[in-house]
Formats: sequence, C-alpha cells, structure tokens
Amino acid sequence: MRDNTHKEQVERWARFVRDNPRRVWKGEQARFIDSQIIMANRFYSRLEKTPGGKEKIQELRNMKNISEISKIIDNNVARKLGLKK
Amino acid sequence: MDREVKDRTILDEFASDFARVIERHAKYIIVSGFVAIAHGRSRGTEDVDIIIERIPRDSFARLHRELLENSFECIQSQDPDEIYKEYLSRNLSVRYVRKGIHIPEIELKLSKDELDEHQLNTRRKLPLTGLDLYFSSIEASIAFKEELLKSEKDVEDARHLRIVYEGKTNEQEIERMKKLIRGLRLK
Repeated sequence: MRDNTHKEQVERWARFVRDNPRRVWKGEQARFIDSQIIMANRFYSRLEKTPGGKEKIQELRNMKNISEISKIIDNNVARKLGLKK
Repeated sequence: MDREVKDRTILDEFASDFARVIERHAKYIIVSGFVAIAHGRSRGTEDVDIIIERIPRDSFARLHRELLENSFECIQSQDPDEIYKEYLSRNLSVRYVRKGIHIPEIELKLSKDELDEHQLNTRRKLPLTGLDLYFSSIEASIAFKEELLKSEKDVEDARHLRIVYEGKTNEQEIERMKKLIRGLRLK
C-alpha cells in the first residue's frame, strides 16, 4: 500500500496538467512514458537472446491472458452452480 | 544534452496508427488506463485497451489482414478464424504489437454487453488529449475505475481525471454508469 505522499504527488501533477497548456507538461510526460517502453523493449530483446528466453517471454505473455480466461471459467462455474443464468 | 520536447509519446503514435486501421472496419473506443495517460497522467503501462463493435467473423478477418499489412501482429495467433472463434467470440481479448517489438500492446476485444454498446454510442474525441482518437466518455472512465476496476492505479487514474476535468464532469452520468456497471458486471 502506497502512503499519502504518493497520493499527494498524483494530485499535484494532475493540478499541474489542469493548470498548464499541453506543451508545458507533454514533454516531461513523454520522456517518462517513452523511457519505460524503450527500457522494457531493451530488456525483452536481451532476454530473447538468452537460452530459453523466447519461451520465458511467451510465458509472460500468457500470464496476461490468464485473468481473462479465469473470468470465463468463473462464469461457467457460476452457471453450473446455478448462481448465474 | 539537448532534449527534444516531444508532442507525442510512443503510446500516442502506436494507438493512433492502430486506430487508423480499425476505423476503416469497425466503430471503436479507447478505454481504461490510456484515457488517463492521454490526459497527462504520468504512469507506466504496457497496453492500450480498445473495444470494437461486435463485427462478424468475415469483417474481422478483413480488419486482421489490414493490421498485418500495416506491420502489426497478433500475439495469440496469425489465423483470423482462430482469433475470432477461440478468443473474441468468447469475450476474451487478444493482443497486437508492432511486428518484432514487444511493447506496447493493443488489448483488443469485442463489445460484449449493453454497457460496451452504450460506451461505443457515446464515444467522443477529447481535445485535451491532442489526439484524433475516439475515447469512452470521461464519466464512463471514472465510473469504471471507481466502481469496477478499483486497483490503486485505477483509483489514482480516476482522481487524475476528476482533477483535470474539475467542474466539467456530469456527476449524474457517472452515477448512472455506476448503476449500469453494478447491474451488468457485478451481479
């Protein structure tokens, strides 16, 4: 659980965005967002070149769909138990 | 080092390129985290969530082919029939990336109920984003994040949108959306 200082920072930044034109905050936000994506892709490229790396990436991708699939299973189970039409 | 002030992020470009293809085949909306991020929220994400109208399999196959022609690929399968039958028609999402690049991803799903249809019918372009894209309404985005999703980052996304649109959101519409969410997704 994050503490209050994080919440305060989220609100401070939102007010900064609200009170300033897009050109003022966009560059700062773009550097942050782009860096995260560029660094993650660099990591995946390194991982891909290691033994078993491609399989690990596939496993990570599959994890993202597990929550989706579990929703379907939950719904099917609920229907079988008569809890859902 | 001289730093260029960028007007668009990698996510902005990615979402715009993908939406340009989609809009030739189906009505779409961008929902969830990217709505907040496009409004300046400063947080990381790996994907952009898109809902499209419930198009038939043949139409999806044409859309998929055009996505491939535009250098996107689907992570789950390259076969449009399999993607449609095994995922989309069962209300599961599929993920597209630019060929050979791991992130960002588009998480694509078909409209699955009245709530999605309502969002598609009330979609709008949001000038504050500076992007020529269709988004779900701010009211719908806040309602989903506060009533259904509820993770720490979702609550913060909703707070961010509430501050950016302070005095401009329709609270009655947010409450109406929350009621629909309770009736359709939380029953």
